[in-house]
Amino acid sequence: MTERVIRMYDKVISIEHLKKYYKEVKAVDDISFSVRRGELFAFLGLNGAGKSTTINILCGIAEKDDGKIYVCGIDTDKEREAIKPLLGVVFQNSVLDSRLSGIDNLRTRAAMYGITGREFEDNLYELSESLELADILRRPLVKLSGGQKRRMDIARALIHKPEILILDEPTTGLDPKTRILVWRLLAELRRKRGLTIILTTHYMEEADEADEIVVIDAGKIVAHDTPVNLKNDFADDMMRIYAFKTEFPAILQADGVQYVKGNSGLEIKLSDTEEAKTLLMKYSDFIFDFEVIKGNLDSVFVNVTGKSLKENLTA
Amino acid sequence: MSSNLYKARAEFYKLRSLVSRNIKIYFKDKMTFFVSLITPLILVILFLTFLKDVYDDTIIDSLPQGMEISKKLINAFSGGWLFSSIISVSTVTVAFCSNIHVLDKINKSFTDFSITPVKRPTLLASYVISDFLTTLLICLTVMLVSFVYLAIVGFYLSFGDIVMLLLSTMIMSAFGSLLASLAGMFISSQGALSGISSCVSALYGFISGAYMPISQFGAGMKNFVSLLPGTYGTVLIRKYYMRGILRHLEEVEHIPAEIVSSLNKAFDGQMSAFGTDIPIWACYLIISLSCVALFLLLLAVAALLSKHKPRSKKQSRRKK
Repeated sequence: MTERVIRMYDKVISIEHLKKYYKEVKAVDDISFSVRRGELFAFLGLNGAGKSTTINILCGIAEKDDGKIYVCGIDTDKEREAIKPLLGVVFQNSVLDSRLSGIDNLRTRAAMYGITGREFEDNLYELSESLELADILRRPLVKLSGGQKRRMDIARALIHKPEILILDEPTTGLDPKTRILVWRLLAELRRKRGLTIILTTHYMEEADEADEIVVIDAGKIVAHDTPVNLKNDFADDMMRIYAFKTEFPAILQADGVQYVKGNSGLEIKLSDTEEAKTLLMKYSDFIFDFEVIKGNLDSVFVNVTGKSLKENLTA
Repeated sequence: MSSNLYKARAEFYKLRSLVSRNIKIYFKDKMTFFVSLITPLILVILFLTFLKDVYDDTIIDSLPQGMEISKKLINAFSGGWLFSSIISVSTVTVAFCSNIHVLDKINKSFTDFSITPVKRPTLLASYVISDFLTTLLICLTVMLVSFVYLAIVGFYLSFGDIVMLLLSTMIMSAFGSLLASLAGMFISSQGALSGISSCVSALYGFISGAYMPISQFGAGMKNFVSLLPGTYGTVLIRKYYMRGILRHLEEVEHIPAEIVSSLNKAFDGQMSAFGTDIPIWACYLIISLSCVALFLLLLAVAALLSKHKPRSKKQSRRKK
């Protein structure tokens, strides 16, 4: 029955006017969005912005104060138990039993979903192949590296073949090779099984791969669109001029064009790429070598929230 | 009907899997395992350094002038007393230290299980059952060691004594596990866990009369410990370790019944509360009823804590 319900709904998650307050602190303040089947949906925000609280409410770990959540058309207020097998979660920090081996951890977790015996062996084999777990499955987690543990966390989230995978900053602390491995597996699962992925991350390059991004700040959604549209709407494009006539900076100053003198040349902030064309035509005699750089998500984030994600990462 | 049976069977498999996982975690965590055995180890050290001599002297002093009993009997008596102390203390201290529920709350595994379809009562039951089985396993191992020790120094236990020892240990393990599970419902930090485990390990040995017989306590302390249900269980375990030796003293060595009886009382083989001797059946009744009361309290606390989870404001309004 659940399978029939799932297929009927293209929107696998619908969140309507979700609120969660801790006394005066509005952790989640009236947010609404929906996630389509097979989508990679990214949550972008600083620590404490409300990303994890939203995820925790969605998983049933935290209670909401108001609003509605539907997962595959199922109202979570009415049928919380029915949505549990549909979700797989990779938490920020590993929640597996460090003294037990990977296989013991996975066997116990799978049993909670009623997956035992041959079915468990089959699922395990599949994950072991794609996440390259064969060598580490029988070792206690306490003896694994950070990357190996993370692979095990992802295997745990996928052991029951969920419809929706929630990744709460999944690649923090992973080495580049493991990060590539993880994303390759997730891309394959999306392609083959139409797995929907909800991701919270600080990494721009990961969010850039998303179909949709929600930027959340102080519990509110401050931007919600595709990465390209967000960049078009909010990011600052830039023209970097590497070679120019010596009098060019003075001319720009006289014309009132703002620029910054960088190590490699002059940098002019652009409101859009059209402005680059205008500048090039106007000052074509003074410019010899240049580059127009499209604004990135970092720039989107700064312009939308007035805060920098990089500062948050180093804080 | 068959659907309900299928669901019950599925939940049972989950319970079995969780219990096996909890037991594995306890035995694989060497530090937790070691901490839970601190009190028994202290007892063994105390016994080897001076307690044995104190017990031996007390036994000899309680005999009438000129009457002697064999070293074998004395060794069996003090050995039985030591092991009854270790087992009775372990039923509580091991239960507190092997409480995986608290560890799961600390390292967030409990959250991980909460997002799976396992029912909350199944999850909570797994902690109580695994705690009980772990405690029982450790206590039965100590009991086995005690039988080997007694076989070397002097074995006076009858088959009936062994059966009653097993029964008493099982009830006391259930008591300890339920008590630890109830406490575990309120503990969710490493600091609180360490504090409570240390307190229980240090205090329980004393108040249960494991370090020194209750009969040597002052009147106030005696009355206080007689209010604790665990004391009744401890006395039961002592009783069956000493019963064979006391029987032998009376029937074979022909020691007067009054002297045997005073020896029995001096070494806590007889429970008294506020100056009244408590019969064996009453001891069993008290400890069994305590287990039932703890179980009901545990259910109430679990229900209360789950009700106290913050609800949606709209949901609360709708309820009103």
